[in-house]
Amino acid sequence: MLACWPAGVVGRAAAGTIRGRVEVKTPIVAEAERPDVGALGMSSIREPLDRRRSVVYLETAPRAAFDAREEPHARMDQRNETFVPHVLAIVAGTTVDFPNDDRTYHNVFSLSKAKSFDLGRYATGKSKSVRFDHPGIVRVFCDIHSHMSAFILVFAHRYFAVTDDEGRYRLENVPPGSYTLTVWNETIRGDAPKRVVTIPEGGGDVDADFTIR
Amino acid sequence: MRGFRAVAAGVLWLSAVRPTLAQTLPQGPAEFAGGAVTVSGSVSVSFGSHDELAFFNYTDYEHNALRLVRIAVAGTWRIAPRLAVLTELRSEDGEQVVPYALYLRVRPFAHVPFDVQAGRIPPVFGAFARRSYRIDDNPLIGYPLAYQYLTSIRPDAIPGSADDLLLMRARGWRASYPVGSEDAQPGVPLVSAYRWDTGIEGNFASDRYDAAASVTTGTLSSPRTRDDNSRPQVAARIGWKPAFGLVIGASASHGEFLNGALEDRYRDVLGDHSYGQTAFGFDGEYSRDHWIVRTEWINSRWTLPRLGVPLIQQPLTATSAYVEGRYRVSPRWYVAARADTLTFSRVRGDRVFAGVPTTWDAPVKRLELGAGVYLQRNLTLRVSVQPNWRDGGRVRHRTFTSAQLAYWF
Repeated sequence: MLACWPAGVVGRAAAGTIRGRVEVKTPIVAEAERPDVGALGMSSIREPLDRRRSVVYLETAPRAAFDAREEPHARMDQRNETFVPHVLAIVAGTTVDFPNDDRTYHNVFSLSKAKSFDLGRYATGKSKSVRFDHPGIVRVFCDIHSHMSAFILVFAHRYFAVTDDEGRYRLENVPPGSYTLTVWNETIRGDAPKRVVTIPEGGGDVDADFTIR
Repeated sequence: MRGFRAVAAGVLWLSAVRPTLAQTLPQGPAEFAGGAVTVSGSVSVSFGSHDELAFFNYTDYEHNALRLVRIAVAGTWRIAPRLAVLTELRSEDGEQVVPYALYLRVRPFAHVPFDVQAGRIPPVFGAFARRSYRIDDNPLIGYPLAYQYLTSIRPDAIPGSADDLLLMRARGWRASYPVGSEDAQPGVPLVSAYRWDTGIEGNFASDRYDAAASVTTGTLSSPRTRDDNSRPQVAARIGWKPAFGLVIGASASHGEFLNGALEDRYRDVLGDHSYGQTAFGFDGEYSRDHWIVRTEWINSRWTLPRLGVPLIQQPLTATSAYVEGRYRVSPRWYVAARADTLTFSRVRGDRVFAGVPTTWDAPVKRLELGAGVYLQRNLTLRVSVQPNWRDGGRVRHRTFTSAQLAYWF
């Protein structure tokens, strides 16, 4: 899904911007926690999980998108028994730090095909890192707290964006050409919404909105 | 060897069907009523060698812990932010559905981490019985001896003499005594992990300390839904977390063990004495990186009536200890082991064992070695080899090979 390859001819024409809004109709709910009947007390109350966060990306990307750059770093915190951010989009080759900001152990792991890892248990204030080399969707969990989960989307190119609190996104410096624009959201079941967008030779802004029900 | 081959064949078959299962099984709990009701479930299928000769792994529901199909559904209904009802319904080996847990949880003060639970509640004593409810938190298939192995004593039937007791050595799976119930029935473990008691408990937890106490109708070895002797059990545990990853706990409990019908029937002989179970326990856990090491020590003492000669002079004690560890070799694979022992105090008979002081039940040692693979995050396949040694009984040594497929959502 996220593996991409060059498409179209990229010249020295002015680049454009693809922008828009992704509206997710799914309600915001707290992250579901398994009924822990063996516990002697209540668990702490956590922030509601915002499942509206989406990732908009080009299915096919211009050749320039694959140019080598310095190794990027990203961060996914473990805070109040929640991964923050819940959705992280990175380019292949990124190293993600997983600091533990809680006063309890966490054990970050993933069994995903794109990246399988297990960081073991480590204490508050400590951090461990994972480098993601292959495009794909990596589901991240905590081995101790089954309600903790997150998504890391690894792209082969840099034309992707995570929506903000209002669902807005912006893909900048897109060379002229026609592209298939796709949305990923964890609530989508079935085919992901897609649109073909064209950046004219002279550049400029192109609007593309999506609605996910 | 035939059992081992069967387990190996099962493992291969399950490995082959994994991709199909992984595409279709739910990943997490289901929510209803806007998130107020959460429902999760678990299924575990354990298969391995038979145990009808030695009964090393029989539970108080007369099921073999290594050959068990268990289906469980758990639910939480959050009536208010600090008020919830929790339940877990279970069926083992296709038998009737039983509410293993059903209780109300209240946090009286918003900013004080103190909770009260009432109903069929998790035990405060020890550590394993609460952990065993989570299908993914037992690294092996078998249970520790203290929580599963059936000793020869019963709450509804008692030996008339030390000889009666010694005759039942290693017969915990089906013990019978001349006083009380005339049926041959299973004895009790030190602590039952397969049934929970009914009552009320309070728990205070902070970052470094926690303390819990409960008042329930049954005892550790014989939890009950309804009180049968009008005398409650009191249990408590304190826990300390001196360092990250390290938990140390100490527990104690005391409750009336003999059932009321037996006491009433033999009131003239038994008098108004208390015939109870008193237990002490220590538990510890240390985890770091890819390691978890856990240990527990439990000492249980049952006071039985001294009815006939040769007398059972002292309370009967049983002591059990285990150490278990799990090491995650890779994201998918782990290995685990548990070493376990169960010993008993001595009594002196007359005709039985020729008057030589002998342990009132046959001591048992158990080793369980296992490995597991996460087929997906919530679908685990485990295999284990479990040799058992018993100092008495018809079968003194048996090794079981078993496999378990466990799924939860």
